[in-house]
Amino acid sequence: MRWSIYILFSLIAVAIDASLGGILKIGDAQPRFLPIVVVFALLSTPRVHAVRLAMLAGLLADLMSPALRADDTQLVVIGPWTLGFALGALAVVPMRSLLYHRNPISSGFATFVFTLLAAVAFVFIWTVRGLLLRDESPSWWPGTGAGEVWHQAKVALANGVVAVPAIWLLDRTRPLWGFSTAKRVVPGAAREAV
Amino acid sequence: MNATRLLQLLSSRLRGRRLDWTLAGLALLLALLPARALAPWTGDIARIAAVPVVPIMHLGMVLRDRIRPPREAFDPRAPEVIELEMSAERYRTLFEQARLKTEALDREVAALKSVRARIGNTGIQLETATVIGIDPTRREGLVRINIGARNGAHRDAAVIIRGDIFGGAVSGDVGEFFSLVKPAPRCSISVRLYPADGTDDSRAASAFPGTVLKPIEGGLWVGDIASDAEIREGQIARIADDRFGTVARGMRVGRVRRVLPNDQVPLARVVEVEPIALLADESGVVVAIDPPEEQAARLGSGGAR
Repeated sequence: MRWSIYILFSLIAVAIDASLGGILKIGDAQPRFLPIVVVFALLSTPRVHAVRLAMLAGLLADLMSPALRADDTQLVVIGPWTLGFALGALAVVPMRSLLYHRNPISSGFATFVFTLLAAVAFVFIWTVRGLLLRDESPSWWPGTGAGEVWHQAKVALANGVVAVPAIWLLDRTRPLWGFSTAKRVVPGAAREAV
Repeated sequence: MNATRLLQLLSSRLRGRRLDWTLAGLALLLALLPARALAPWTGDIARIAAVPVVPIMHLGMVLRDRIRPPREAFDPRAPEVIELEMSAERYRTLFEQARLKTEALDREVAALKSVRARIGNTGIQLETATVIGIDPTRREGLVRINIGARNGAHRDAAVIIRGDIFGGAVSGDVGEFFSLVKPAPRCSISVRLYPADGTDDSRAASAFPGTVLKPIEGGLWVGDIASDAEIREGQIARIADDRFGTVARGMRVGRVRRVLPNDQVPLARVVEVEPIALLADESGVVVAIDPPEEQAARLGSGGAR
């Protein structure tokens, strides 16, 4: 996989999430394109890179979503989305063997799982942080963590729906990504027939 | 030297899953650092990371505003919005009022020009008036207009509709500020009957058949006419004498509705004429006020009726 292409698509996805993505908002749930790009890459990239590329996107998400402090200054906390995306990647990578990765519908399901787990980890880390440090409020304040999980579940559902066409479109750019297409050849009936 | 060795050690040891766990641990550590440890540097990193994203975001915002204009900030119940809506409604009403007023003034100007062209420099004063009251029980009932003696209105002053239709004459009851108008269908009028499709200017008025129209029930007139005169339905009746002033002479007053035989006079027929327009249906009229000397002469001769 070409990392430069991955970073480029991640930046574009972050920019779309922060601007154009608003037109796809249903109620208060706005689908995000960054997890879709990550899942698209996860479904085709070697397992060894999977967690790293997800954490890179998560780092980008952390940098682009500062929290507001009590004194009205912004605080960028690096970690919640980074770890959340890593957890999502750890869930999606084993699913690759169960899902037909070129099928957009299975990609939608993988995106839903990825986003939901990432959100759970995000809320968990912020909750732990709040309990340990008590020096700033999470981005969902004055709501509750449970409320935020419920909200993120709706976002995950929206992501899953949007992922179906989005991953179909991303698949058109597959030659750019430089995914390895080598297959491991194993002995079998077909081989014996030859 | 030590740094190089450290990097070599790290690159040799941190590979594969071990690198992932190290990065995850580092992320967890950063996630749990207090704000005072993060604030001095994470904001700067975020600003640097945003540099390549901002132009795309700007483009995305432009596209978003094109596709779906922002409405989230719009609160229809906000006091300033309500105030603006009320102002808009008020100005819309004022605009419509001004537009209607302009149309009415245009009509008045057109009517005045038309009458002025007809009378030339005869000293007759033209006043526009508004119909301010009608008789609700009868369409051809008396009509009240908003000019009176103060404006020069006098008995038998011609009231003109749409430039060249005789609508009626001011009755004897002229108030200071308003007058009562006797509508044309209640007046006896001497007319000549012209073809409906226009006239040949070279022909004298006397070449067209004439009659005296007398009011009958239903706001119509009837008049006797010689049986040899060529009369058709739809012909236009125009005033033929100066009983309502020189300005009214030649004005349209009615249209031939029916031509009937006259049982009592075999050599004559009866024409039934209906008014072209009724004062009660109008909102604005023009009143032709004679010069004082002509009014005095008319009073001396006992008036029109």
